Amino acid sequence: MLEIRDLVVSYHGSRVLSDVNLRLEYGDSMAIIGESGAGKTTLGLAIMGFSEGTTSGQICWQGRDLLRLPEEDMRSLRGKVVAMVFQNVEDALNPVLNIHDQVKEAMTVHRNGPGHAASARAFGLLEAVGLDHERAKSFPHQLSGGERQRALIAMALANDPDILILDEPTASLDSVTKGDVIEILRAAASDKISLVITHDISTAASLSKKMAVLYAGTIVEMGRTEDLLKNPRHPYTRGLIRSYPNMTTTKDLQGIPGRMDREADGCPFHRRCTQRTDICSRLPPSMQETNGRLIACHRGGIVPLLKLRGITKSFGQREVLSNVSLTVLEGETLAVVGESGCGKTTLARITIGLCDPDRGDVLFEDETLRVRGLEFYRKVQMIYQNPAESLSHRMSVLDLVREPLDVQRLGGRQEREASVRKALDDVELPSDDRFLARYPHQLSGGEAQRVAIARAMVLQPKLLIADEPTSALDASIQAKILRLLQNLQEKRGLSMLFITHDLALARKVSDRIAVLHRGMLVEEGPASQVVSSPAHPYTRCLLEQAARLDATIGSPGVESSAGRGAAAQDRDRWIGAAAVNR
Amino acid sequence: MHVDLLGAVLRDPLGMTGSALLGLVTVMAILAPALSGYPPDLYTGQILSPPSAWHPLGTDSVGQDIWSRLLWGARTSLLVGAAVALISTSISVIIGTTTAIFGGLYERFWMRAVDAMLAIPPIIVMILVAAYLRPNLLVLILLLSALSWPGGARICRAQTLSLLERTHLSAAATFGAGWRHIIRRHILPDLTPIMLALTVGAARRAIFMEAGLSFLGVSDPTMVSWGKIMQQALQFTYLDVWRWWLVPTGLALSLTLVSLSLLGFALEGAMDPRLDGGQRHGDTRSSHA
Repeated sequence: MLEIRDLVVSYHGSRVLSDVNLRLEYGDSMAIIGESGAGKTTLGLAIMGFSEGTTSGQICWQGRDLLRLPEEDMRSLRGKVVAMVFQNVEDALNPVLNIHDQVKEAMTVHRNGPGHAASARAFGLLEAVGLDHERAKSFPHQLSGGERQRALIAMALANDPDILILDEPTASLDSVTKGDVIEILRAAASDKISLVITHDISTAASLSKKMAVLYAGTIVEMGRTEDLLKNPRHPYTRGLIRSYPNMTTTKDLQGIPGRMDREADGCPFHRRCTQRTDICSRLPPSMQETNGRLIACHRGGIVPLLKLRGITKSFGQREVLSNVSLTVLEGETLAVVGESGCGKTTLARITIGLCDPDRGDVLFEDETLRVRGLEFYRKVQMIYQNPAESLSHRMSVLDLVREPLDVQRLGGRQEREASVRKALDDVELPSDDRFLARYPHQLSGGEAQRVAIARAMVLQPKLLIADEPTSALDASIQAKILRLLQNLQEKRGLSMLFITHDLALARKVSDRIAVLHRGMLVEEGPASQVVSSPAHPYTRCLLEQAARLDATIGSPGVESSAGRGAAAQDRDRWIGAAAVNR
Repeated sequence: MHVDLLGAVLRDPLGMTGSALLGLVTVMAILAPALSGYPPDLYTGQILSPPSAWHPLGTDSVGQDIWSRLLWGARTSLLVGAAVALISTSISVIIGTTTAIFGGLYERFWMRAVDAMLAIPPIIVMILVAAYLRPNLLVLILLLSALSWPGGARICRAQTLSLLERTHLSAAATFGAGWRHIIRRHILPDLTPIMLALTVGAARRAIFMEAGLSFLGVSDPTMVSWGKIMQQALQFTYLDVWRWWLVPTGLALSLTLVSLSLLGFALEGAMDPRLDGGQRHGDTRSSHA
């Protein structure tokens, strides 16, 4: 069993790792992910006893503290008990020895057994990683990057170590080679303790059962790999996953604002965090466990910003919403999808307070809303479907964007005008005097909607309710506006309740999708899951109707006739029923 | 939809004519002391004299200068018209918007009151009340105002109800705005055209009613009014004096009423772009660019 307790590593007085605690048993595979510079490699080197900085804490292996072990003893463990596959493929191999001899050397250093046995085992190991006899006799410069990586793996496995540390094992490999290497590593690591250090989340996911997220030398979140990737709870983890190109999530890539700052007081992530409060800059958070997940965050991970509980609303005899419950987390987009008349807009209006529910509660920042005051509207804003209607035609751009500030009585005249110009800059509109004096009828549809967005954003809200914000615009302008909203989300951690009828659109802009059908919530989940494996037949219908560019889909040849019939029946049942209802 | 109302009215030939006529009468009323040599109630010593250099329209049966009475009569008419227009339109707007916004019992009370008042012809009420009160100028203005607001209130209410459905009002509410802000920034600006039309209509009716009541002799006898001048002149139609006594007064009253009618007509056209083939829409665009 390998146990790391309160490990601190610092170089020249600056901490590279602080208070790292890990416990790994045989068969455990742990991935350490994080941006470059997070201290991942330092952790691997510390376990190998290669750390050059000053260290404190303990790395315990079978009752011995590896950090305090004399170099002589450590050397006998290296390779034999702890082996590492290094990151830098070019320099890790000796250029004047062929790779077979290098693998054999790794063994003969530790075992004084017969040379020919070691030689045979070296060939066997190289064979196992996919390098045949002829390749095994090659020199490093004669091999491709992938082959050199395989040779390094064979070397690390030479003495059948107990602990295998893989530092970026698949960096700079093409995806096919990467797949092979991952297979080899998976087979090799199954009976060992393995630690995968990587910024490549997909490699980490396929090589580990547990995952730890390292940020500026601190572990910020740790848990089972599958849970952690599906439902990240720390804002940094979510940021990492959002910025990683993959085939699972459907939302557009988003970055994390700011740079990593090791010297920050309090929570290392607080300067880049969009949900920080006072305490975050003062005290480093401690690790808390909830449901098998460890999170170091003062706010207990990503906070739920808006909660709708059991919202029910009828207009006359017709029930428009029945028992709808939803949660919007800080900095995420929840898309509410459904055909027109399904109650989407009513849901938005109830949330913002333009209409009262018959039953149910709206909670904002964990407080039930009864009366919505100025304070609430400073944090929650809405953009409407049609800018021509939501902007008064009697007001100039300046008056329009300034109106929320006037209502809220924020700042003086000059400050308000400065805020207006900044808000216009943020939505990529001109902010000169000529544009400020324009009236809505002198703006194009896209410009008018941007003015409406600038007006909503001028108060810097935390939650933006967007009711079909782009349905009145053509596709290219729609794309720009959605990009803009996502940038605002990235920059400010804006949460969005995105109301749309368009599933194809929802999957690109939202983290989660909720499907509403005749006032009932029929499905809710991560956008990728709702789109790839819809659970409810109505969702399948919406998917079938969603926009596609390939002409063959939907023609009878593609599906079996039985499947086609079932799908058609489904569609009739769900779409047709809705039509009759209307 | 941003209509430049004043410009549109002035570009309309009818509106232009109306404004010019009204302007002329206004100038006459304002400059009355300068344009006439005598105060309207002064006994000149000559009775029923024909037009002369000293008396452009001659003198009446009690020896007062007709021209100066005509000018001072314009003052009364315009004052009554303007004051009643302002007061009654204000009442209309206040009752109309508040009933639309607050609804409930308040709305029902006022709307039934409006129905009742519209059902009774105001001229009859006016004659009855005036016969007892013998109203002076101020009372007359208040009475006319009190009787002429209901129609406007109903129009304002309808318009406000439709305005309340507009998204920009919801948007303002979601900035946290209260009713004061919404009425001031969103409802009143959109009611302006209607308020203008109501003002013009109310002024026209008030001038007509004042002249009518004076003609019937039920208003304050010391007031100089076109209605009274005509009533006096009618008693002497067997003489030639009607040509410079009755005709100019009747003409002045008619022209004032016509000018207001023309203005109202032009306003109506300007407010509804559908009435003039969309050409005005282009005009207003360029006027703002």
